[in-house]
Amino acid sequence: MNELFQNRLVPSMTAVLLILFSSFASAEISFNYDIRPILAANCFECHGPDQNARKAKLRLDQPSDVLSPGKPTESELLRRLTAHDVDERMPPAESKRTITSEQIGKIRQWIQEGAKYEKHWAFIRPSKPELPPVDRKSWVRNDIDRFVLARLEAEGLRPSPEADRYALAKRLFLDLVGLPPTPEEADAFAGDRSPMAYENLVDRLLKSERYGERWARKWLDIARYSDTNGYEKDRERSIWPYRDWVINAINSGMPFDRFTIEQIAGDMLPNARVSQRVATGFHRNTMLNEEGGIDPLEFRFYAMVDRVSTTGTAWLGLTLMCAQCHTHKYDPITHTEYYQIMDYLNNADEPDLSVPTREQSRKQKQVDFQVAMAEKNLVNKFPFPDKIKFSEKAKETDEVKKLREQWVQKRFNAWLNAEREIAVHWSVLKPTKATSTLPKMRILADHSVLATGDQTKRDIYKTSFKPTLKNVTAMRLEVLPHESLPAGGPGFAYYEGPKGDFFLSELTVRANGEPVKMTDATHTYAKNAIGRGKVSAALTLDGDGGTGWSTAQGTGKRHVAVFNFDPPLKAASELEVEMLFERHYPAGIGRYRISLTDNEGTLTARTIPHDVERLILTPSTGWSAEDREQVFAHFLSVDESLKKARAELDKLRNQFPKAPTTLVMQERPADHPRPTFRHHRGEFTQPKEQVGAGIPALFGKHSNAPQNRLEFAKWLVSERNPLTARVVMNRHWSTFFGRGLVRTIEDFGTQSSPPSHPRLLDWLATEFVARGWSMKGMHKWIVMSATYRQASSVTADLLERDPNNVLLARGPRKRIEAEMVRDLALSVSGLITHQIGGPSVFPPQPASVTDIAYGRFKWRTSDGEARFRRSLYTFAKRTAPFAAYLTFDGVSGESCIVRRERSNTPLQALTLLNDQVFNESAQALGRSTADGTGSIAARAKKLLRTCLIRPVAKQEIQWLAAYYKAQVARINAGDLKAGQIVAPTDRKSKKLNQIAAWTMTARAVLNFDETITQE
Amino acid sequence: MNSNPLLNQTRRQFFQDCGVGVGKIALASTMAGRSIANQTSPIAPKRHHHTPKVKNVIFLFQAGAPSQLELFDHKPKLAELEGKPIPPSVIQGQRYAFIQPDAAVLGPRFKFTRHGQSGAELSEMLPHLGAIADEIAVLKGCTTDQFNHAPAQLFYNTGFGVPGRPAMGSWLSYGLGSEANDLPSFVVLKSAGNLSGGAALWSSGFLPTTHVGVPFRSTGDPILNVANPAGYDQKAQRDTLDLIGKMNRRRLGLVGDPEIETRINSYEMAYRMQTRAPELMDLKGESEHTLTMYGASRNGSGSYANNCLLARRLIERGVRFVQVYHAGWDHHSNVEGGVRGQARLTDRSSAALIKDLKMRGMLDETLVVWSGEFGRTPMVESNSALGRKLGRDHHPQAFTCWMAGGGIKPGTVIGATDELGFHVVEDKVHVHDIQATILHLLGLDHERLIYTFQGRPYRLTDVHGHLVKKILA
Repeated sequence: MNELFQNRLVPSMTAVLLILFSSFASAEISFNYDIRPILAANCFECHGPDQNARKAKLRLDQPSDVLSPGKPTESELLRRLTAHDVDERMPPAESKRTITSEQIGKIRQWIQEGAKYEKHWAFIRPSKPELPPVDRKSWVRNDIDRFVLARLEAEGLRPSPEADRYALAKRLFLDLVGLPPTPEEADAFAGDRSPMAYENLVDRLLKSERYGERWARKWLDIARYSDTNGYEKDRERSIWPYRDWVINAINSGMPFDRFTIEQIAGDMLPNARVSQRVATGFHRNTMLNEEGGIDPLEFRFYAMVDRVSTTGTAWLGLTLMCAQCHTHKYDPITHTEYYQIMDYLNNADEPDLSVPTREQSRKQKQVDFQVAMAEKNLVNKFPFPDKIKFSEKAKETDEVKKLREQWVQKRFNAWLNAEREIAVHWSVLKPTKATSTLPKMRILADHSVLATGDQTKRDIYKTSFKPTLKNVTAMRLEVLPHESLPAGGPGFAYYEGPKGDFFLSELTVRANGEPVKMTDATHTYAKNAIGRGKVSAALTLDGDGGTGWSTAQGTGKRHVAVFNFDPPLKAASELEVEMLFERHYPAGIGRYRISLTDNEGTLTARTIPHDVERLILTPSTGWSAEDREQVFAHFLSVDESLKKARAELDKLRNQFPKAPTTLVMQERPADHPRPTFRHHRGEFTQPKEQVGAGIPALFGKHSNAPQNRLEFAKWLVSERNPLTARVVMNRHWSTFFGRGLVRTIEDFGTQSSPPSHPRLLDWLATEFVARGWSMKGMHKWIVMSATYRQASSVTADLLERDPNNVLLARGPRKRIEAEMVRDLALSVSGLITHQIGGPSVFPPQPASVTDIAYGRFKWRTSDGEARFRRSLYTFAKRTAPFAAYLTFDGVSGESCIVRRERSNTPLQALTLLNDQVFNESAQALGRSTADGTGSIAARAKKLLRTCLIRPVAKQEIQWLAAYYKAQVARINAGDLKAGQIVAPTDRKSKKLNQIAAWTMTARAVLNFDETITQE
Repeated sequence: MNSNPLLNQTRRQFFQDCGVGVGKIALASTMAGRSIANQTSPIAPKRHHHTPKVKNVIFLFQAGAPSQLELFDHKPKLAELEGKPIPPSVIQGQRYAFIQPDAAVLGPRFKFTRHGQSGAELSEMLPHLGAIADEIAVLKGCTTDQFNHAPAQLFYNTGFGVPGRPAMGSWLSYGLGSEANDLPSFVVLKSAGNLSGGAALWSSGFLPTTHVGVPFRSTGDPILNVANPAGYDQKAQRDTLDLIGKMNRRRLGLVGDPEIETRINSYEMAYRMQTRAPELMDLKGESEHTLTMYGASRNGSGSYANNCLLARRLIERGVRFVQVYHAGWDHHSNVEGGVRGQARLTDRSSAALIKDLKMRGMLDETLVVWSGEFGRTPMVESNSALGRKLGRDHHPQAFTCWMAGGGIKPGTVIGATDELGFHVVEDKVHVHDIQATILHLLGLDHERLIYTFQGRPYRLTDVHGHLVKKILA
């Protein structure tokens, strides 16, 4: 099958390919092109790179003693391949593989000629090839054509004539900007006699902002971009700033090497800009399982597996995923090397990054200023007591001011005295040690402890102290916010429960190893996020891990719990506080601080800040100005009579929506690397020895091998890597021509199909690098070629000879991609609206599409212009992708896709005929046609041209007009109800019947094969 | 040779696919000698690997995971030990979703009796299944790799715990093609609550979209967009298709791309589906007797009972694989009440399907599978923060499924668990084994049904799976 099958189909093709390949001088057999495919398909599974699967200690991917170079008859290999005895013959019968006599002939010839092995072509660095000689020089427009023509001439074929101007216009528009031209644009191009007309159009399209949108969609398939987390709950995520980064990068002509480095390791660039950190969203597009009760580290491992596999496919064109479970069966990548690559990518934390727009930042500053002013002014908002009366309009005279100051001072003093009565002298303990089952605990300057790194579903924190205080009566646990925590903390939860949540199941204290008995626990705030059960600080002492304390919806704030010791603890040289978190998801505390007191009496938890409470306990005469300000500010924040004024302040604070966030990578600090292990059989539960980062040996030995993610990113686009430029150019080529020069655009390994034009591929790859990795530059080369400009129509002979257009004797003809189908309908009907970037939108689709998803996700259908934005901006839900796109082979975002299928199904017909999106387009087209001028034929012609772009034939107009007349007659006769067919806004139109009949006609035109095809 | 356009891919794609790697063995035997000018669909019905026992599958998937301890696997020992903790040595090292290592044993909530000649022991919650016990084969030693719903459902349906692989129905459509020329070959029906695995459960994954499972909706259009927009009658639709067809044929004559012919066929099949799908959903031709047997009703759309009946109607019309989902078995709390409620909704209909197929002579050519994604713990689940008590947690180590139909040895019980129902001790059957067995009964060798995607060959059963020989007739 595979290569052989193809060879049978087009035998002459292979022959020519061999002649053209540079390493080839005569009719000599090539290991790379003739022999390796046979051995790889039939032998390598047992006699290849994987030593665990290797039989008889024989490997055939390198020279061995079963080969006697020059002597086929003495070679054991040939003897075994041709043995009559079934027990002797290879491959064995149970493998269900057979080698044909033709293949055996090739192997015989290869041994005869010396049985020379070659490095797989894709693993050899490309060098710029010589341009081949051609006869028909006049056809050649640029170097690309030399390679294509040389091949055609060798095959005895001629290129097709250039496509007509209209086909070219439609082709260029759809390929470069993903939208069709208007008939007027096409006419202008067709009528432009300047020799620069074509190039001018190309340049114009390359500069269009629509270009970045069109090509971003291609990249987002690879990036597995989605607006939801995937798996069961498939909740919304905010990562659209990454999508916008891709659009902007492509529009601004960012070179592909930088495009790579910023996405893989933008956070590690010196002084990384926000945009460079946003770019690291590339590998945050992996899925997140939020199902209750999962093992979060297991699904983190799956995300890592996805990252390795995606990196392999997108840049290297290697099936790295094959080496997850064992050494690669066909390519020289060992099991350990797989995990060495993983290690480059495995050392990052995964935070959310706030990315305010410029406008939002400006507003935020403004509001911050207003809030600061208002806070200062709070003191002037004190309502005066009844006995001091002023007229409402009284000015703030000095006298009033003075009276107010006196009044406030009096109130403050009263508060202070009352506070002094109840204030507790808490001694903050400095931890001597803070450890946990997994998170890395960091002791901060204020003696609080911050949890960082990974978590499990059942974590235990242990914090040790050497307290000096005697007769301890109570312990205070402060849970504190921190900018590094999800939603600002104080909790460490990042999925399933609300971000920043925690659930403290049990708290125990040991003094010199003996448990300390605690009673009367209290808290300042408690709320449960999931489930109906009550939560409280007291429930952390009940011995039941299913109950505990949580502060849901209290993110970004400090909360306090106090535990009374019964009896008081006389003294302890060692104090250990142990906290257990065993919800069905990781829900540790993110930051906390422990204090003790010897105050007598049963103490309760209070919100008063530690520093304020401490000051209150000292005489105010000793306060500095700052001290006083701090205490006074707290007084203002709690005084009852200012409640209303503070509410207004809160309103001010919340007066505009929060800045959007996006998902990014953040390399871990040096003292907390995440180890990577080799996993036996690729299973999460079977980690074996630890492995360090490294590049597979197939890329040669380097003294300066990459050491970290940033260096790895640079290596991907360095000269040391023979693959990336070829893989990327081949992929782009396939977008234009519907097929890659290497057909397996996802695989350049030893199992890949040989390139149809190897030297053209190397020319493209070397030019790409030489031209500074310019994607726009290479796109221009490709579309400027005569090869690209050929007509796509095909004769029966040529179809028989070259059904897949491997030889490029004609232009590409292809059904446009899913999003382009909708964009085209919106565009020709005039509905489309253009706005770059921003949160995703919800164009109409049947409710039943998302009803079937878990949690009955509500599709919040957009109104107004958002309804008609380009499909790139449609909300992408993994478990219920937008139905119309999926039907046309759109992607779900569940894995990296470099090549979409291009199917042709009845469900596509039903979508185009009946889906609301397309019906709305037909209605808009119907209305504009009815509103137009001229005869029925003239209108029919205009409608046809709007959708097909090209000039139309008389017969086509007649067919359309006849259809229109038949429908309008049925409407006039009352057989069809025009009011149901047109858009609601047209139901009262005077031309109702005409609009309806034209709507029906437009619907038909939108369904023509040619309408959604690039010719 | 069937030229079903639903399965028609582009010729271009077909040749691309055929060249990829060592895969495509499914196509190898039939394709090698075919002329490239042949216009026949590349994925029309294909040769089997061996003689099939059945043509169709109805998979009654009980999502949420029913408690085998309340339905099939009778463990009196649990009643004895109720309230006592399972020794931590048993539970330590196992991963659970919600419970902790000190969880106590919960005794069975229902009585069990023996049924039929096979003497299969079933709980009092399954009286209807009991009445047909001699028609089914019960596998009591099932086990799986995943202990959470979405991954386990994905694992069962696609052979892998992470979304993105083709569903079993897609593999069958790919491997065997379709017998229906007016309906999809892989149809999905759903009743009751939330389905954790979502649309990834019937995704065609890396296989062409042609093989995707098509959900039939209980409200609105049975198939998305199968109804015309408001205002269009059948004649208008016919006129429209005629105009589209005329224009497409004209273009075909000018540019010669055979793809256009495929599109013409697709539109004609779409037109046939437009009449076929509503007819299928309309139960007025079914007798009162049949409706009563299933517990179905003419206006009871969306119920499990109606879906079981629809499943029969679908395979009657040539649909190869009907995936019925009933999501309601996740009883973390009050497993007794939960199982009682769900059994009431499903027992009668599942049994009726078997009886109905048998009466119509269709059981021999159909395989019916009943299973959840995993089992439930012998230990109790209770958690006051979550408000749970007397429930059972997820238990991947052991669960029960049953099969009936062609090729299955009826009236058998295979496999056993230990006295706590914790581990399988006899005839362990892994989910990959069940997948291999289903493919086998349809005439496919799970080791030879291969598709190469991005350079790597894939199978439904990955590198695992053994036939469950004891269940085969």
